[in-house]
Amino acid sequence: MSEYVIEMNHIRKEFPGIVANDDITLQLRKGEIHALLGENGAGKSTLMSVLFGLYQPEAGEIKKNGEVVKINNPNDATALGIGMVHQHFKLIDVFTVLDNIILGAETTGALGFLKKKEAREKVMALSEKYGLKVDVDAKVEDITVGMQQRVEILKMLYRDNDILIFDEPTAVLTPQEIDELMEIMRGFAKEGKSILFITHKLNEIMAVSDRVTVLRKGKYIGTVNTKDTNKQELSNMMVGRPVQLELKKKEATPGETVLKVEGLTVPSKIHKNNAVNNVSFEVRAGEILCIAGIDGNGQTELIFGLTGLEKASAGTITLCGQDISKASIRKRALAGMSHIPEDRHKHGLVLSYTLEQNLVLQKYKEPRFQNHGFIKFDEVRKYSEKLIKDFDVRSGQGPITVTRSMSGGNQQKAIIARELDRNEPLLIAVQPTRGLDVGAIEHIHNQIVAERDKGHAVLLVSLELEEVMGLSDRILVIYEGEIVGEVDPKKTTPEELGLYMSGAKRQEEGGKADA
Amino acid sequence: MPKKDPVTGKLKWYKSEGAVSVYSALISILIGMAVGSIIVIIVGMTKSNISTSGVWDGIRLVFLGVFSTGRDSAGQLSFGFNGVNIGNMLFRAVPLIMTGLSVAIAFKTGLFNIGASGQYLMGTMGTLSVGLWLGWTGCPKGIAWLLAFLVGVLLGGLWGAIPGIFKAYLNINEVITCIMTNWIAANLVTWWFDAHESFKNAAEGGKVGYIIPLKNVGVVTPKLLMDKIFAGSQANGGFWIAILIAVAMWIMMTKTTFGYELRACGANRHAAKYAGINDKRNIILSMAIAGALAAAGASLYFLSGNTEFYWSTYQKLPAEGFNGIPVALLAANHPIGVVFSGIFMSMLNISGLQLKYLTAYNEYIADIIIAVIVYLSAFSMLFKTVLSKKIKHDHGNVNAEPEGTEDEDAPEENPKEIASAETEEGGQK
Amino acid sequence: MVFLLQQMMLYAVPLMIVALAGVCAERSGVINLALEGIMIFGAFMGVVFVRIFQGAGWTVEQGQLIMLISLILSGICGILFSMLLAFSAINLKADQTIGGTALNMLAPALVMFFIYMIVQQNTMGMAEGGAAGWFMIKPSTFGFPKGYSFGPVGDFFLNKVYLTTYICIIIFILVSIFLYKTKTGMRLRSCGENPQAADSLGINVYKMRYLGVGLSGFLAGVGGFTFAMTTANMTSNGDVAGYGFLALAVMIFGNWTPLNIAGGSILFGLFKCIAATYSTLDINGDGVFMLNELGISPYVYRMLPYIITLVVLAFTSKSSRVPKAEGIPYDKGMR
Repeated sequence: MSEYVIEMNHIRKEFPGIVANDDITLQLRKGEIHALLGENGAGKSTLMSVLFGLYQPEAGEIKKNGEVVKINNPNDATALGIGMVHQHFKLIDVFTVLDNIILGAETTGALGFLKKKEAREKVMALSEKYGLKVDVDAKVEDITVGMQQRVEILKMLYRDNDILIFDEPTAVLTPQEIDELMEIMRGFAKEGKSILFITHKLNEIMAVSDRVTVLRKGKYIGTVNTKDTNKQELSNMMVGRPVQLELKKKEATPGETVLKVEGLTVPSKIHKNNAVNNVSFEVRAGEILCIAGIDGNGQTELIFGLTGLEKASAGTITLCGQDISKASIRKRALAGMSHIPEDRHKHGLVLSYTLEQNLVLQKYKEPRFQNHGFIKFDEVRKYSEKLIKDFDVRSGQGPITVTRSMSGGNQQKAIIARELDRNEPLLIAVQPTRGLDVGAIEHIHNQIVAERDKGHAVLLVSLELEEVMGLSDRILVIYEGEIVGEVDPKKTTPEELGLYMSGAKRQEEGGKADA
Repeated sequence: MPKKDPVTGKLKWYKSEGAVSVYSALISILIGMAVGSIIVIIVGMTKSNISTSGVWDGIRLVFLGVFSTGRDSAGQLSFGFNGVNIGNMLFRAVPLIMTGLSVAIAFKTGLFNIGASGQYLMGTMGTLSVGLWLGWTGCPKGIAWLLAFLVGVLLGGLWGAIPGIFKAYLNINEVITCIMTNWIAANLVTWWFDAHESFKNAAEGGKVGYIIPLKNVGVVTPKLLMDKIFAGSQANGGFWIAILIAVAMWIMMTKTTFGYELRACGANRHAAKYAGINDKRNIILSMAIAGALAAAGASLYFLSGNTEFYWSTYQKLPAEGFNGIPVALLAANHPIGVVFSGIFMSMLNISGLQLKYLTAYNEYIADIIIAVIVYLSAFSMLFKTVLSKKIKHDHGNVNAEPEGTEDEDAPEENPKEIASAETEEGGQK
Repeated sequence: MVFLLQQMMLYAVPLMIVALAGVCAERSGVINLALEGIMIFGAFMGVVFVRIFQGAGWTVEQGQLIMLISLILSGICGILFSMLLAFSAINLKADQTIGGTALNMLAPALVMFFIYMIVQQNTMGMAEGGAAGWFMIKPSTFGFPKGYSFGPVGDFFLNKVYLTTYICIIIFILVSIFLYKTKTGMRLRSCGENPQAADSLGINVYKMRYLGVGLSGFLAGVGGFTFAMTTANMTSNGDVAGYGFLALAVMIFGNWTPLNIAGGSILFGLFKCIAATYSTLDINGDGVFMLNELGISPYVYRMLPYIITLVVLAFTSKSSRVPKAEGIPYDKGMR
């Protein structure tokens, strides 16, 4: 019997043009919680997909209990007792919880008819035993993200998996829910199940894991015992250079009100309730106001309502003294609003356009770029070359690069270049660092702070608590479409924020809108 | 990188994206014609009344039908310059070019205009009615021509706008609404002509059921030299007008802010909206332009004067509408390319007719070839990907990915992003 | 009245089964715009098979058997034809709308080509006799004299009907049960919603999509045959009067669910039926052709089904639930 239940030795996985995993070794002991640490794009998800049979490695071997195994597809992985909670849940929205759990592992009677009764009993029993509360008959689209995650965990348990992979499981949870999850994971380990815990959050690793394996840029850096290491060492291993864990910025000097929102209400597209309900706040020049909250609590709709991407059903929006409540998207932008959108592929860029075409996405109608409806291509080129230089946007062919072929970080840089260069008094930035590596995150954070120091107002929406705490001057917490609290980042704690985010705590009057 | 021009950083012209489109179109054409030939051979072998030489005749006509000059005294097929055939080819290319443009412009805005048939019929109705009516009132012929053309185009544009409105405001798939409006148009047009006896050709025997041709009232497109070049054919100045419109469309799409907006809406409606572009207005305008172009095809076709319209059309949609689809696809939706692919499709039709007149086969072989070409163009991206890979395999970051996937709702699940984020790290090292 | 209801069923049944064909494909994630083409092909092959059986000396006494075998063979031909779409959509990840359009063009072209090669004219019918004579169920089928009545209810079910009506309804029910109550059906539906999830659970997305398209081909082929027999007197002319597209519309406003589709088809059947028979329609049996006497143009009745579709779509579009992954090619290597 081998010391390890799972060994992945010298795994190499290539994609066209890149090596995602280069000679990576990962050994998992029975009954341990093993953290896999690395930045976005370090190759963690790829490695786990190899283990789960979603990708075939170009080189290397996988052993289960010391014996070499071949995992060609998820069925093989399941047969070996390997289960995975994916970062982006693999659930069918319109199916019920029960259907989602049994899908792919159904019990059937004659002619392939489904036998759901036994399945239901088994799910209920599992749910009871591990304290994973779910509503088996609800449709997945109607349940909370936290419950969706419990469904994913039940899927693994239903298949009697004993090697459990958790891919960035905490990204969508409140601090309290994270604690609960950790408890559940410890329980699994105690039962003898082995856990692979993928994350880039150091606190969680220190709190729950036994050992840590670190990856960087597709390469294996090392494996250490958690109790023999510390956060700084881990972060150095992860990034490859000393990282400043805290952002340095001056005290904010708020000036006049730039954006004033009163009673904004945006109907939901999915539910009968309003996605944003009677929200009021102000953003002032020279401050960063952050909207914090768990994903799906109305942040997206709030920003859509502000920018005009969706129609608000009530409320007024005043930008620089101008009422823009009913204005078109373009009029709002011209009134002094720039917007780094949440989804850079959906809203931020026309991916099949070239970089220069994307850089003038709002500006092509300005007289400097057009003459009687004909585009001045020379001017567009000159302008884009300047932006590319100033903001260090890297691409294969400069202005004529098709943006689809650019890296995520440079796509984001291009959007930020475009928006910051518009030099508007209000900057709305929604999850501006999502999916980027530490270097890019630092760079973007510094640019946002610089924008504030220029005397512009910044409205930031972020799901990352660290970003919220580090970057903002003032925090509003949104829960189920309502502002439930206003806190000062210097005086609050993640735990307090978590209570607001989960709806457990709430200030009267939705947190007085600014002083 | 030897494959790129050292000065501009662009790929050499014969390796550019446009050139790759042309190669993939040529491959589609060749395969389509090969399939046609294979059918000719198989049918020839199974039918007792077709000899080996008959099969050989069939294959030659599939490829060279437009150069056919009939059979010589010995009964052998003869080939050569056939001014009538080529002139007729150009004449018949006009509606194909226009419906092709119609489909192509809509495609560029991300819309599939399968409603060209209905728009074409509306154009037919407008042009014929106004042309005949003004012809009778003794209006100057030039003005009558212009008004007949414009009314046809306008009707088509309005008709095209309907699916656009449904798409923009209710987000209903334009394919379904286009199909419905096609059939509604077919009934409307039949109803209109059925209710107006004066338009029906009662004078000529055997022409009952047809509308009076416009030449009877003298409202016809001038020949503009076409009769000199292709004597005896139906070719007229409409061909030059079609080319002018194609060039205008090309300029509109590539050089103007309006074209920039339309293409942005097509490539990514969400991003266009985010940028302040009025996506709804652009979708409706795009469909209206598409409708106007299809209708212009009908107008030019019937303004030639000697073409006749069978008015009881409520059970049958005009083929020109659907044939715009292969024309646009073959041209990769490039307005200038449409001119060439339109002529090519027209050539296939002429070949089909030659097959019908000169062999035991029939003209539907041309339709089969066209359908095969459409089928192939559905995965022309595959050809392009393979060709592009061959051409640019050493050219770092160009991932060969199909277009049009950026509207995915969950881009983070989009492996491209993950892959490219990783590329970045590798690249910046 | 019985006549009207029977007529309505004649129109509704092919629509219903072809709309369900659309559901099978789209629930698996493939847009099947080619329903019209598959119907045309199925109708043509059906006529060909009937001619073959007639040529082989089968007689009118074996009418129902000929019909049954031809129906099944038409369905199989539908499967084969639909594989062209499956191949381009699933393996080659081509644009499904264009692929479907190609098949819609290919079917009439092929059919017309062969009809001309076979009969040298633009319509091909049975070798001898007509659909009513050979395949219709009449009192004489059961040994009763001509003009015998089974009473209103009995007449509706047994007098001057085609067996296909019942076969199609049974197939419709069976396929609906398959989609919603069996393991494979559930897996198929998951591929139209979230193929990445299905794949991560070990479900072969390609296989499921092939199954969806194949099933769709079978149903559309059967629908084409039924159409040819019941409304075109067992002839083929490269056209099914836009039924395939109407079925798509029925599918959309039936919200991709069998029960709503059945309802939608009946509504449609009613309007198609009115359009076809309004001038001789005696609704309450008093000898007055009411609709005819209203003096409304026949073209209005003919347009009605299409206008109604537009109106219904306009009102239902907000609540419609498209299978989320439909039309998006699934690439195993990219997830």
